[in-house]
Amino acid sequence: MTAALFALLFIQAIDSTPPRPAPRSIAVDERLAADAGLELGDRVVVASAPGGAGDTVIVAAITRGRADPSEVARADYRVRMHLDELQRLTGYGDRVDRFAVGTTSASATDSALRAINSAAFGFRAHRSRDIAVETSRTFLVVSRFHRAIGVITIVASAIFLLCIMLLKVDERRRDIAALRLLGISKRSIIRSVMIEATLVAVLGSAMGVALGWLASSIINWHYRGVYRTPLAFAVVTPGIVELAVALSLVLGLGAGLAAGRRLVRQPPLDLLTGRHESRRTARAAA
Amino acid sequence: MLFRLVWASLVRHRARTLLAVLGVAVSAAMLLDMVMLSSGMRASFKNLLLSRGFQIRLSPKGTLPFDTDATIGDAAEISARLRTIPDVITVSPVLGGQVYASAGGRTATAVALGVDPAVEGDYEIVTGRSPSTANEFVASDDFFHATGARLGDSVSVAAGFDPQLRAVTGQRTLTLVGRAHFIYMPAGQNSVALPLPTLQAMRGESAHDRVSLFMVRASSNDRVDKVLADIERTVPRVTAVSIETAMQQVDERLSYFRQLAVILGAVSLGVGFLLVTTLVTVSVNERLGEIIVMRAIGVARERVVLQVLLESSAIMLVGALAGLGLGLVTARYLNSILASFPGLPAAIDFFLFEPRDAWVALGLLAVAGVLAGIYPSWRGASLPIAVTLREEAVA
Amino acid sequence: MTRLLVARDVKRDYHMGGGGGLVHAVRGVSLDVDDGDYLAVVGPSGCGKSTLLNLIGGIDRPSSGSIEISGERVDTMRDADATRFRLLRVGFVFQRFYLMPALTALENVELPLAEAKVARKERVARARELLAYVGLAARLDHRPTQLSGGEQQRVAIARALANRPRLLLADEPTGELDAHTGAEMISLLGQVNGDGTTIVVVTHDEDLARAAKRVVHMRDGVVVDDRRQDGS
Ligand SMILES: Nc1ncnc2c1ncn2[C@@H]1O[C@H](COP(=O)(O)OP(=O)(O)OP(=O)(O)O)[C@@H](O)[C@H]1O
Ligand SMILES: [Mg+2]
Repeated sequence: MTAALFALLFIQAIDSTPPRPAPRSIAVDERLAADAGLELGDRVVVASAPGGAGDTVIVAAITRGRADPSEVARADYRVRMHLDELQRLTGYGDRVDRFAVGTTSASATDSALRAINSAAFGFRAHRSRDIAVETSRTFLVVSRFHRAIGVITIVASAIFLLCIMLLKVDERRRDIAALRLLGISKRSIIRSVMIEATLVAVLGSAMGVALGWLASSIINWHYRGVYRTPLAFAVVTPGIVELAVALSLVLGLGAGLAAGRRLVRQPPLDLLTGRHESRRTARAAA
Repeated sequence: MLFRLVWASLVRHRARTLLAVLGVAVSAAMLLDMVMLSSGMRASFKNLLLSRGFQIRLSPKGTLPFDTDATIGDAAEISARLRTIPDVITVSPVLGGQVYASAGGRTATAVALGVDPAVEGDYEIVTGRSPSTANEFVASDDFFHATGARLGDSVSVAAGFDPQLRAVTGQRTLTLVGRAHFIYMPAGQNSVALPLPTLQAMRGESAHDRVSLFMVRASSNDRVDKVLADIERTVPRVTAVSIETAMQQVDERLSYFRQLAVILGAVSLGVGFLLVTTLVTVSVNERLGEIIVMRAIGVARERVVLQVLLESSAIMLVGALAGLGLGLVTARYLNSILASFPGLPAAIDFFLFEPRDAWVALGLLAVAGVLAGIYPSWRGASLPIAVTLREEAVA
Repeated sequence: MTRLLVARDVKRDYHMGGGGGLVHAVRGVSLDVDDGDYLAVVGPSGCGKSTLLNLIGGIDRPSSGSIEISGERVDTMRDADATRFRLLRVGFVFQRFYLMPALTALENVELPLAEAKVARKERVARARELLAYVGLAARLDHRPTQLSGGEQQRVAIARALANRPRLLLADEPTGELDAHTGAEMISLLGQVNGDGTTIVVVTHDEDLARAAKRVVHMRDGVVVDDRRQDGS
């Protein structure tokens, strides 16, 4: 069982070593160490108020913060010190903010929770998981936002894909008309257009996955620097890859089918002479 | 005649043109949203900070307002000293804290602000009035809901809970005299405001003559810098934060969204641009024959360029106009998602529409539209006439 | 009679890509054409007739030699001037008509007028008049696809005459037409020349060549024969 007390501390580096019994140790996080130029063995004064009386302590460890999403974008520094010292410094008395309790198994957790809460003197026991959910609310919001933007992007790319397929097919109008006149069936033409669309989609999504992986590496590198955290901001998971590939396949096939059917509906002779176009323009102008 | 030709080539492939316009509309919507996102948050935060006219906030040395539980001591003295600084019009000390309120058997926790009721720096009265005696307070809508209390009710409010004694500490019976809108509070937050001395007394020794922050109003915006310097000199134990500094802090915290906005905005602009370029290039390629005949019978190169540029711009423009409407709708939706962002005042809009945003988005799209037409139009206009005519005759 | 066209030692070489060497399409043609003349250029396929016509019309440039029309050097003009020249000084008629498919007959004739910045009212009046002149008064609002080949070629002639050029250039104007429609075209060109427009026509059509006042024979990029026909 560990007890924790959180308090705001003020730290001041000192040069001279006051004649005192062996100072106690603290651990500072690497960001603080970097920003304040602290090194192992340095002596610093910790106090609960700026300029107030404090203790001289020695930096015994430099720690790296855990990847905690709830602390992203907060520039706070973290210092770990002996509980009794912090209690004394802050005048908190024999009090703590919370206890962390380890149990032997899931069922032990249940019974411990029940036991603690039934005997509680003004405090409550919570499952760590529940607390984690509460603290990650920011990220739920952000990921909902991302999802909404993802949907918009998908709509845009669907339109793009359809447009490109239409263009590609229109471009080959004459070849396809010639095939039709040679007696190739509508079905095989649609099939060939769809095979092409599928190939484009597969190649495109393979490149997209590679690009996505590259982009996520860059994003992680960038935001890790900005927020000084080891957190991963963008992760290409197998699920995402599956979704992306499936989506582009469905879209590609759909676009291919739509474009192919548009083609075979035209009489082949019209396709060959381009008469369908002018007829359409004539109709549009009428 | 020019417009006739542009129109003709746009309607020749109606499905294509329609798809392109749609595609542009979606990217325009995205672009507008991202332009709104990149500036909206800042603007709305600034509006919020300035909404009660306080240009300066003072917080404990080294902290941001309400960022930590730290407080400023000797509040009365600092207050008095601040008031002596020239150009300072109003000083509003604020102490924050958590309180437990019970009314009619229901208990709720609420964020309490100890304020100078005469100033009303943190809230606006919706109904009722501000506290006029030490034992009165106002509360937010959410508090009324959570406790079921009504205006005029007596509510038991406590500042703490002693686990050893299993009893509340610093308890008072206060009269609820007003319903207020708390400007800086997140949505769904139970909030109350009571006279500063009352809250200080309720919180006991730990809050004696202490406040969380001061809000300071200077006589005019251009006096702010001078007042800041004066404060730093007279009250060295506090950090004085101007709106600009606060904005910088917010920028840092929310830089993620701004960067996202820039990246996604650029991507959507690029996608729209690519779509139109592809489309217009293909359409010019299909019409090379017509274009070259026009050149042969004496139509100027510039006219051909203009025709193609008009074509690409028309697609962009119609798409952009549709996209602006679509963008406003999606911005509202996206804003409603981000509105539940924890810890931010409810009044913050991530997507704040300003006419400037629409102009920026439209301008970017117009430039993209013209750029999209440049390659194909250059291609169409620079073909050698005789050779191309011969090739067309063969094809 | 005044000189309209003076061509001196005109050559046109084509560079073939990929080291294919030079093709000498026109290898030194000198030609004088009087105002009001009607010239037919004939010769075997590939002898350089179309190339010569393109050079005269300013849509291609000679490799060497000079071409003057109404005292203006066509071969050295800047592109913008050449464009202006094509718009106002010459009219083109092509074997395949080359009308704008999206525009009506009337609009097709209006196109060069609009380009020359003729006011709308005047432009429509002139286009109607021209279409009536070529015998298509009833087909103003029809699109090229709704017209027969002969009718399309009439629209093309009306378009070529829109800005009252001194010179009409026609490359195989009867090439895509049957004998009967071709004959109509020949008489229309005769009428145009009769009304004062100089015509240079490239053709394989013997009937058309016979209708001209002067026939120039080409072979392998040079003029081999040039004779005036009896004004029959
Ligand atoms: N762009 C080009 N590149 C290469 N060679 C060319 C080009 N244009 C024309 N030629 C060549 O120049 C020669 C003359 O061509 P031109 O079209 O003038 O002949 P023509 O007399 O009009 O023939 P036809 O009666 O068949 O129309 C031909 O041998 C042709 O192959
Ligand atoms: Mg020829």
